[in-house]
Amino acid sequence: MMRRRLFGVARHAGLLVWMAITLAPIYWMVMTSFKHSGEWVTWPPRWVPHEPTLINYVKVLTPGTSTFELGRQTLKILKPLWDSLFIATTASLVAVALGSALAYSWTRFGTGGRRYPYNILSIRMVPPIVIAVPFVVYYVTLRLLDTYTGLILVYLATSLPYVIWMMLAFIEEVPVELEHAARVMGASRFRVLGRIVLPLTAAGLVVTFLFVFILNWSELLLAMTLTNTEVSTIPITLNKFQSANEGRDYGPQAAIGTIATLPVVVLGFLIQKHLVRGFSFGLLRK
Amino acid sequence: MGGSERPPYPPGARRAPGDPGRSSIDAQATCRTNPGRSWIDGVLARLERERVFKWLPFVPVQGLFALLLLPNALLLVYLSFLSWRITRGAWWNAPFTGLDSFLGALGDERFLWAVGRTFGFAAVAVPLELLLGFGLALLCREPFRGRRIYTTVFLLPMMIVPAVVGYDLSMLLIDQGPFNQVLSVLAGRPITVRWLSDYTAAKLAVIGADVWQWTALTFLVFVSGLAGLPRDPIRAARVMGANRWQIFWHVELPLLKPVIAIAVVLRSMEALKIFDYPMLLTQGGPGNSTETIAVYLWRMGWEFARVSDAAAMSLILLVVVSVYIFIAIRVLRRERRRLAEEAAP
Repeated sequence: MMRRRLFGVARHAGLLVWMAITLAPIYWMVMTSFKHSGEWVTWPPRWVPHEPTLINYVKVLTPGTSTFELGRQTLKILKPLWDSLFIATTASLVAVALGSALAYSWTRFGTGGRRYPYNILSIRMVPPIVIAVPFVVYYVTLRLLDTYTGLILVYLATSLPYVIWMMLAFIEEVPVELEHAARVMGASRFRVLGRIVLPLTAAGLVVTFLFVFILNWSELLLAMTLTNTEVSTIPITLNKFQSANEGRDYGPQAAIGTIATLPVVVLGFLIQKHLVRGFSFGLLRK
Repeated sequence: MGGSERPPYPPGARRAPGDPGRSSIDAQATCRTNPGRSWIDGVLARLERERVFKWLPFVPVQGLFALLLLPNALLLVYLSFLSWRITRGAWWNAPFTGLDSFLGALGDERFLWAVGRTFGFAAVAVPLELLLGFGLALLCREPFRGRRIYTTVFLLPMMIVPAVVGYDLSMLLIDQGPFNQVLSVLAGRPITVRWLSDYTAAKLAVIGADVWQWTALTFLVFVSGLAGLPRDPIRAARVMGANRWQIFWHVELPLLKPVIAIAVVLRSMEALKIFDYPMLLTQGGPGNSTETIAVYLWRMGWEFARVSDAAAMSLILLVVVSVYIFIAIRVLRRERRRLAEEAAP
């Protein structure tokens, strides 16, 4: 009995330590976003802003374009925010639609051969920097550099392998007998997809969408490579901020970070229950 | 590797000539759709045929990969044989210099260091993430009060944009920052590690960023793995008098092998791409001490504009990485095959 209780206490102690490690950086960023410039860097550091303010949010969220002048810059993020949202959503939606259809076709008909998903996955394992250099030259030729289409196509290609692998696990769980029965009763293949497969894999589709959305929402390297002035995403904006300013503007940057984090975290909370199953990559026992 | 993997779906579902059940289903479905009604029905009926239906998603996907990958791969090889910089006119006019860029790359110490450093970072970060994630998942295994809160919080980091993580840590790790403050309080004496300007400390900072963020993923994978463990073998072992440790070591761990395989493959494949943390946290510095291969190649192409050299280095990197990819894919295939065999009675 004593040992059991001791174990319980030790467990909480261990978990609490990691919880503190996890939460502290997030807490610090959110707090900094509410601080006046005088409180950004102090000794001892202030964990709670003495005079909370919304000025940082106002600064970055006012409409207009970012200006860079003389080592000082004012960044506006409405445009990058919209760009990020549009690009990530479109790419993820199309990727989920195509990828899950492909995963279905592979599980049911073995289309493309046994090794198809592995081949696709091995493409994804190649570091993107390898392809980044010729990509610019190629995109300039196609006039896709610095366009929404260009970035969406790339993100589509990078998310597809994940979609296929995550959806395999969900589709394999759909009982094929059900599909056969529906077919015998005269349902078309599309009807079977819409009425049986879709509802049974709905949770999987949502989780997969969220996961690739996070990936596309956060991608930095390819976005930096393939955009210039017309299109700009949130991670690029943060990076510009970081490398261009001599004296750091911690507050506005923290505000951007908080804004970039919030939507994803909220979405994540909503689907947390299903998250666990989405990561089995078809390698879990049922 | 042409092993005998089970067909992904039971025999009935595959195209087998003269499979009675299947063809009768097909026939029936085609009869139902009345072809004469409108052209949409006609198209649908055509798309319905298994021969066409199963290729529908493959056409756009393969088209996309062909459009994006093939020309780029060719361009990459071609550029690497030239001597071209962005500043020197059009690439098709650049002089052909054969293997010069490759020889230059192999003689470039900074490149070799960047490759070594990237693998080094992965070699430290990935095992740490695996151990931490596994430990935390074990602690969260049985239900207890507060378990949901812990799980929710532990999953948070993987939902944050890596660039934001890099930025956030760059704020925490300044010389007179909150991290040093916390360390001082814990140690009971003033600690002033220069996290972003000391060669070793900066490396630790980059590794720390990766561990902080991606332990969430290994935790998630292991939690789902532990939840999916079959109860019977464990119960059987307990009945036969095995103690907790023996059960863990001889029953549970072998059962968890596929899950461990995914976690290792997933994480190490991402760890080799580290770019965002050094970029935002240290800009590769101090000196080149946190310059990973992605950061160096990025600079090569965009800051120094030495495109051909960057292309040659990319190809060398590709060769190195493909060895690793080959092994990773083998592992995944083997684990999946084994599971399929187990599932089939």
